[in-house]
Amino acid sequence: MKKIRLFFTALAVLMASVVASAQTLEVHGVVSDEGTGEPVPFAAVRVVGTTVGATAGADGSYVIKVAADAKLEFSSVGYKSVTVPVSGRVVVNCELESDNVLEDVLVVAYGSVKREAVTGSVSSVKGETLASVPVTSVDKALSGKLAGVQVTATSGQPGASSQIRIRGISSINASNAPLWVVDGIPVVSGDVSGMTNTSNALTILNPNDIESITVLKDAAAAAAYGSRAANGVILVTTKSGKEGKAQFDARVKFGMSWLQSDSGFRMMNAEELLGYQRDAIVNAGLNPDDPTGPYYRPLSILNGELTNWLDWNTRLGKLQEYEISARGGNAKAKYFASINYHKNEGIAYGIDYSKIAARINADYKLTKRLETGVRINAAYTDQNDVPMQSLYYANPIWAGETMLPWIPKFDENGNHNVNIPTNSYQNPRATAAYDEQWDKSYNFNGTMFLRWEPVKNLILETKNSAETKFSKSRRFWNYPLSYAKSTEKTLQTYRTELVQLTTSNTISYANVFAGYHSLRAVVGQEAQKYTYEYDYMSSPGVSADIPYHGTADDTKTGVGYGYTAETLLSFFGIADYNYDQRYFVQGTLRADGSSLFGSKNKWGVFWSVSGSWNISNENFLRDVKPVDLLKIRASYGVNGNNGIDAYKAYGLYSATQYNGTVGMLPSSPSNDVLSWEKNKTWDVGLDFGFVNRIHGQFDVYSRLTDDMLLNKKVPQTSGFSSNFMNCGSMRNTGIEFQFDVDIFNTPDFYWNVGFNIAHNKTKILNLDGEEKIEAGSFVHYVKGKSMYTYYLPDYYGVNPTNGEALWVTEEGALTNDFNRARKYYAGSPEPKYLGGFNTTLSWKGLQLSAFFEFKGGNYVCILNEGSYLNSDGKQMTMNQTAAALNYWKKPGDTGCNPKPIAGNSTNSSYALSDRWLERGDYLRIKDITLSYSLPKTALDKMHMKGFKIYVSGLNLYCFNDVYFWDPEIGVNGSGAGVYPLTKSFVGGIEISF
Amino acid sequence: MKRYIVLALAALAAFTSCKDFLVEAPRLSQSDDLTLSTANGLDQSVAGAYAPLASTAWYGADFIIINEMKTANGKKYVGSQHDSGRLNEEYQLNYSENNTSALWGYGYYVISAVNNVMDNLGNCGDEALAKNLKAECLFLRALSHFDLCRTYAQPYNYSADASHPGVPVVLHTDPTAKPARNTVKEVYDQIIADLTEAEGLIDPSYVRAGADDRAFASIYAIQALLSRVYLYAQNWEKAAEYATKVIDSGKYTMWTKDQILSPDYSSSVYWEDTRKGGEVIFEVYGHKNNSYDGYHDGISPMTTPDGYGDAGASMDLVNLYGENDVRGGLFLIDPDDPGVIWSAKYAGKGISDPQVSNVIVLRLSEMYLIRAEANQRLGKGGVQDDLKMISDNRGAVAETATLTGIYNERAKEFAWEAHLWFDLGRTGRAMTRKDVISGVVNKVEWPSYQWAMPIPLREHNVNPNLSHNEGWN
Repeated sequence: MKKIRLFFTALAVLMASVVASAQTLEVHGVVSDEGTGEPVPFAAVRVVGTTVGATAGADGSYVIKVAADAKLEFSSVGYKSVTVPVSGRVVVNCELESDNVLEDVLVVAYGSVKREAVTGSVSSVKGETLASVPVTSVDKALSGKLAGVQVTATSGQPGASSQIRIRGISSINASNAPLWVVDGIPVVSGDVSGMTNTSNALTILNPNDIESITVLKDAAAAAAYGSRAANGVILVTTKSGKEGKAQFDARVKFGMSWLQSDSGFRMMNAEELLGYQRDAIVNAGLNPDDPTGPYYRPLSILNGELTNWLDWNTRLGKLQEYEISARGGNAKAKYFASINYHKNEGIAYGIDYSKIAARINADYKLTKRLETGVRINAAYTDQNDVPMQSLYYANPIWAGETMLPWIPKFDENGNHNVNIPTNSYQNPRATAAYDEQWDKSYNFNGTMFLRWEPVKNLILETKNSAETKFSKSRRFWNYPLSYAKSTEKTLQTYRTELVQLTTSNTISYANVFAGYHSLRAVVGQEAQKYTYEYDYMSSPGVSADIPYHGTADDTKTGVGYGYTAETLLSFFGIADYNYDQRYFVQGTLRADGSSLFGSKNKWGVFWSVSGSWNISNENFLRDVKPVDLLKIRASYGVNGNNGIDAYKAYGLYSATQYNGTVGMLPSSPSNDVLSWEKNKTWDVGLDFGFVNRIHGQFDVYSRLTDDMLLNKKVPQTSGFSSNFMNCGSMRNTGIEFQFDVDIFNTPDFYWNVGFNIAHNKTKILNLDGEEKIEAGSFVHYVKGKSMYTYYLPDYYGVNPTNGEALWVTEEGALTNDFNRARKYYAGSPEPKYLGGFNTTLSWKGLQLSAFFEFKGGNYVCILNEGSYLNSDGKQMTMNQTAAALNYWKKPGDTGCNPKPIAGNSTNSSYALSDRWLERGDYLRIKDITLSYSLPKTALDKMHMKGFKIYVSGLNLYCFNDVYFWDPEIGVNGSGAGVYPLTKSFVGGIEISF
Repeated sequence: MKRYIVLALAALAAFTSCKDFLVEAPRLSQSDDLTLSTANGLDQSVAGAYAPLASTAWYGADFIIINEMKTANGKKYVGSQHDSGRLNEEYQLNYSENNTSALWGYGYYVISAVNNVMDNLGNCGDEALAKNLKAECLFLRALSHFDLCRTYAQPYNYSADASHPGVPVVLHTDPTAKPARNTVKEVYDQIIADLTEAEGLIDPSYVRAGADDRAFASIYAIQALLSRVYLYAQNWEKAAEYATKVIDSGKYTMWTKDQILSPDYSSSVYWEDTRKGGEVIFEVYGHKNNSYDGYHDGISPMTTPDGYGDAGASMDLVNLYGENDVRGGLFLIDPDDPGVIWSAKYAGKGISDPQVSNVIVLRLSEMYLIRAEANQRLGKGGVQDDLKMISDNRGAVAETATLTGIYNERAKEFAWEAHLWFDLGRTGRAMTRKDVISGVVNKVEWPSYQWAMPIPLREHNVNPNLSHNEGWN
């Protein structure tokens, strides 16, 4: 019976198809979700190869007239397209498979969209690529990963902050740092150190907790952040729970770091230095063997104890990190939780950084339409250090470079020697051993959200967040100062309290109409209040035995107090529309009111418009298999930069003392029109993807800073010399390119190569009529030139006949008189190009990845190490670099340092000259990692989900010609007594079960 | 469900309805609105307006030092151990717009501070206090305009009707204004108007409380300054009239020669901390706690061998004094460095504070000498008596009742008190000096561009309406 029915059915179909091929059918059916079985509303139904189409209704049903042999393509946003042959049927139902693959969705301002729907310029990086780099804070891991994102280290100290510049530098007096937004809430970033040299606010964010990072680079992408968007926005999304059985991950990491120069920079040893100094003494007409002379340097010095102070002041750094996280959930509740302990002992004695960070991210569906969740991060940091980032005598690196090798390490009692008049009675090892300098901070970031979908596609969400940071710091000079003038032991303490409260409320709606019209709209309101308060106390003369303020002489104790508050209130709207996934437009509007600005300019309006054409979704390319993506983007918008100190708009009176009374005097002029700097940015870009293997992005942009804030000089007849006013302008222009290729992609063998490069040029257009503004002693802001421009005397070289330093005069002649040297614009510390490339090679469980970073076209000025440590005999109480050994010895010598003369007074080694200017180009092997993951078969036997063991080398080698530790020394290309970037090896094990 | 909406709306409302949410006023300094809105704030703002007088650009050092080093009173001992490299341009009158007196900024700062107060006195509430505050403000504005005009403009008599450029007269604070220079006559007219109004407003018994009550304005300080301004403007009747007002007040008494310098050289009224009687009508109080204290660049370290000591005195000055004239004893030969002479007028306040000194602006002997000069020019009597009042109290031989005699007495009496340069200028006499080494300027003709210092270049750069003082490099 069954067989007979089957036969008739087959016959009927056959007949129908025969009939159908000759006629047009009215086909109908229902489009439904494969997973849930629910109808998919407004799906597009298209006849393949024609322009004929129809749109399903809200209930998923459709009707279309087609040829009986036609093929129907069903598509809808969020689903994979399906092609079904009609084959003469009149009822063609279709189940669509969800296209909810994570990689294709990008977190953007106030939401997430499919990557192909993005109309602005964004770059993104996945959490796992960040977590593999052994860094203390996530910003370090971004370096070189994204086109146009420059991460510059100012210090290699554990926990150090970095300078991040997205698409160049846009401002002289306002901030140039991007806004960091974690899980939708703007957070505090930058340096938050109290007594320590540097302390990065972002260290409390565990890189392993991060799911993804999106960098919003152009006006369109960032405009939703209005007055804080000018320097770009970095959106961080942390991991949330996943439905399914709980997964635990455990990680341990051990590492070591050391100091190494890859350009041959080193100090002289005792023998070299003595030879150098004896020559210098003879050149000065003196006798080094005369005990009564000003410089007594007999050869017998070498018979005494000799010390390599740099070696003695430094050590092998040690890193350890332990972490456990859990992730899981069910249909109603999801969670991610982690706790991480990290300790990094620096390469100098007395320097370490440790932290404990814990996170809970939980989501709970209260009802079918109501969801709530929390993102909680709590962290404790503990940082010890010694004076660095200055040329201070206790700086272990600087003193290591300067201290004479024949100074004994210990005194006669076996204690650290402090009887060192040539180093101001300081010994960095004694400082590390006796003095205290530390910060401890207690951090809590908590966000709670409530998301309600009263009707389908309409979402109301409120996010409320508190970010708090309490820190205490202590500096205690307990150093045995018996040799120095002061014998007082001084205690300083500092407590800070930072609170940032944010509420962010949005209503969003997303839907597809008539199959082709996709719309997303977000309107929102946000308010933020930031307060920062500190108490400071200094007590000279505390007891060494009870080193607290109570034991100090009250009359000498000094106190300080500071308070800053800022508020921001915003309203914004974002609207996205696309037609048939082919034509995309977006508009953003944001109004920000800020307490920072003048009463007449409290509110600013920022906006952007952008559009893109997704050519690959056009009919003529739709079926061209090799082209996955081809998209042209264009955007324009106006963003703001509100990164200025509080109270700048206020006319202020400050207390002044005179004649035994306290009076008030105007201290700053009122400026009720003080306003944001405006960044007007356009961007044109191209996104492409071919054969599922090659992906890339290309952008050209121009970013004009208007109303740039300058300390405008005003007539003193007004009572003031300057007023902080919006009166300058500058421009950044650049191009960016990045691509990624899967060369092999087979189950066993995988090889991927990625590359990015960016060029940015800054140009100062208007300094309120001034030709230049001096920024520090040798970096100038000059109209028509790059943002930072060196202005230095022109050093020519050595005079081959007598070994004197020669300078070029204004007239082009040569002179040995430093004072007649011409000064000229000698280049800029800004790189002309920067980028990175990476490759990953894996075979079965074995993986090798390497990441390189490069930068070029910039100059650095190694002025301190030059002027003091290659001093032509001027600094007879300081060790000198090995480069100083190449000095003029006899007539005819060229290309060398001038003739050293003990006590040289010719200014030949003067710090501010182009003699110390060097090309800053480098190529850095940032990271090489070799890892092995156990195969699934082995894991199953052990009831584990994953097992990985790896070893990484970080910053293993840097190809460069800068005669210093490392060519990276801050965005202005010079640094004093920096903690150099170090080399490190890290090994670790990661287990999932 | 509804309660969630209510919650969300409540959160929204809490922020949007709060009108003051976007106002965050500084906690550690006061906004000008606040300071100038109360009687106490206005009072404190007047007290504060005196403070810049003690800056190194003004009475705290340079206004005295520059104007003495330009004359035969000053000498820079070039190449000696007291040559720190400072004061070369001052001594050689080698100024440029890049390198000139910084008084401009400080003078107008005080003017702006008092203008702010005067424009807000309606907030004071206390009418009696408001009058006295206004009088103080007018006095400070007059003194500032006067010192600015003396520094950056040619003397009153440079043109017949004083129509040559003076300095801008600023009566209201306007951050956007780019004022041009008023004529010297207009400046003096404003100064006289301000002082005359102040005289009428101030309660004769009013003086602000402070460590040294002579460092704040009083009716006599107003009258004394008015007397000097009239003298400079060559209004002899008024000069004599106001000098007489001060003299006849009986408030001040001549210092005796033992007060000027005790016979054992151990004390001098110049080293007093605060004044108990004596000649001083108005002075600038020196103290380490002054916000504008100049530290090592203050007048004491600059004029004594314990500090930088670049500002030395000359033999030309010492030679003026007769044998028994105590004033000569105030110019001392350095025991460690014979041949170098110092002024002891700013030798500090004794052992307690050797780094700071008071700087006298107006004192009684000047009133006698103004009256003597005015009466001499008017052909009136009493000139010799006024001159004798000075010489008798100094152990000196009286000068003759001629203009030359009066000039001589002024030179001796006010040496190193910033009078000589202006006296030469206002009377049309050249500056000459003999105690100089070769290469040092020993004469400034009258008239000459050098009687008006250049206005700072930065000011010309931001205010195109200002005319230049021509002649300087």
